[in-house]
Amino acid sequence: MQEVVEVPLSVDERWDLIDTISKQTVEFGAYKHTLKDAIAELTVKPLTGIPVAIAVIYGFWSFFCDFAGTLFTDGFMVRLFDEHWLPWLQSVFPGGLGNPIYALMVDAGHIEDGVLVASDNCFEAFGVLTSGLFVPFGVVLWAVLAFYLIFAILEDMGYLPRLAVLVDTVLHKIGLHGYAIVPTFLSLGCNVPGVTAVRPLETRKQRFMMITLLSVFVPCGAQIGIMQDLVPELMGWIFLTLVIGYLGFGFILNKIVPGKSPEIIMDVPPYQMPTFKNIMSKLWIRTSKFLLVAVPFVLLGCLIVGLMYLTGAMDWLVAVFGPLLMGWFGVPSETVAPLIAGFLRKDLAVGMIGGLMEQGIMTTFQVFTSVVLLCIYFPCLATFALMIKEENWKELLGSLASLVAMVFIYGGLIHLVGIMLGVA
Amino acid sequence: MKILLMGHPNVGKSVFFNRLTGAKVFESNYPGTTVDFMKGWMRVEGEDVELIDVPGTFSLEPKDKAEEVSVNMLEENRDCVVVCVLDASKIERGLYLALEIIEKGYTVVVALNMWDVAEDKNIKIGVEKLEQILGVPVVPTTAVSGEGFKELVSRIKEAAPVKIEEIIKNAGGGGSAAVSG
Repeated sequence: MQEVVEVPLSVDERWDLIDTISKQTVEFGAYKHTLKDAIAELTVKPLTGIPVAIAVIYGFWSFFCDFAGTLFTDGFMVRLFDEHWLPWLQSVFPGGLGNPIYALMVDAGHIEDGVLVASDNCFEAFGVLTSGLFVPFGVVLWAVLAFYLIFAILEDMGYLPRLAVLVDTVLHKIGLHGYAIVPTFLSLGCNVPGVTAVRPLETRKQRFMMITLLSVFVPCGAQIGIMQDLVPELMGWIFLTLVIGYLGFGFILNKIVPGKSPEIIMDVPPYQMPTFKNIMSKLWIRTSKFLLVAVPFVLLGCLIVGLMYLTGAMDWLVAVFGPLLMGWFGVPSETVAPLIAGFLRKDLAVGMIGGLMEQGIMTTFQVFTSVVLLCIYFPCLATFALMIKEENWKELLGSLASLVAMVFIYGGLIHLVGIMLGVA
Repeated sequence: MKILLMGHPNVGKSVFFNRLTGAKVFESNYPGTTVDFMKGWMRVEGEDVELIDVPGTFSLEPKDKAEEVSVNMLEENRDCVVVCVLDASKIERGLYLALEIIEKGYTVVVALNMWDVAEDKNIKIGVEKLEQILGVPVVPTTAVSGEGFKELVSRIKEAAPVKIEEIIKNAGGGGSAAVSG
């Protein structure tokens, strides 16, 4: 007697079956070329697509600067914090200048001609209640809101896959796929969702490269917001430096990391009208996530750095690492403090550079170098925690090793270029 | 009872999930929005049912980490009902995944989503005929506007596992698959 065994269909048999089914059920009518199709083509064909992409990104950036920077931060928040909040706290908080609790919470002050003087802005004051609140609520919140508003609209329309098609050729040169633009863009908001979005990349090599490049070269929205507020005139150079680093080190990583970078085929979905409800709900989820994660870390960062100054630990670190920073990267030894804060929050760290700028101990080129260094030297704690989750230990070590190598090579290179141009 | 939402990337599974559970999961118009599964609760005829939004996958042979999550989810929930979300304007490739899931013996309901896009593209689908061949409920839906959801939910209870041989027979030949050996 023969036993009947069930065998799953082979791939061909399954397609044959689908063919018979669809012949009986699906009817393809004449295809009409719609306005939607016309727009879709305009944004994908290089000749028109590249200008459109530039216009979109330029529009994005202008909105970001005008809405977050000019309107909210400069127009309202800086005045609120520097002219009202800070003087008020300085007048009512017990202790006064020189008192350790006062220094931690309100204003550490700084030495000018051998005299300890009070700060007149919230970048410099560096207390938990001053800088600690000014950085997230005065600057970063508005940047994050502006970023995610535009990003959600682009996302829901379906523009990102089209951008992916456009940049596909360039990214293939560094072993990545056009899809890499999606995690990159997401990382410009926050590296955490960016690193998660790496999963659809096919090989371990691509995922490893992508995570490493994201965590090193892509600054987050919080960081961009505060950089824009602090050094708007340097933003072009900063982005250029980061893009060159991203592409250059991507190229090198692609050569030295074993594995394949196969083509992946991605659907380009039809354009859709974004719905107000979905945009608002995304904006709410993302912004509230930012507030929940960022604010405690910023406050904690302020406290830790403040304590390190008070206990003398910071002076010790400055003495130990100062020569390396000065010699190799060409930045003043005081940059140690922001670099320490950068482990926790990059936005806070950039804010501290603002404090150093106000005290006049940095040249423009040093500000530029230290801001770039802050971007690339270590992912923030939240991103690092996620890297531990997403990568195996070998890849994690690899990421960290590449990170250290990139920071030293690139940081040194920037210093060298500065010396040759005579600005360092 | 557990319900799994499965389908290709970017066919609107997350929109389904949000509509059915009232939860807030990210919806974006690009493939790969959901890379990890999401759980929520919905009501089917007065009963609380767990709904799982699974990352998009093209087939049951995973090609990346997000697809691995989907296939594992399916294997871990052998007794679930799978709502297979298809892009009605690209029905053939969606059917491939649906057939794979049916072959594994799962209870399947087919949602022909993006029905509006298919209409725009002048694609006509004989829903009743398709239902007759597949032997599982087939419901046209437009997730972004919410059309077809009531019917979809009301028909989940009808669904039952189907043998692939039945489908081949209903389709009137084509693949001569049931091999005896």
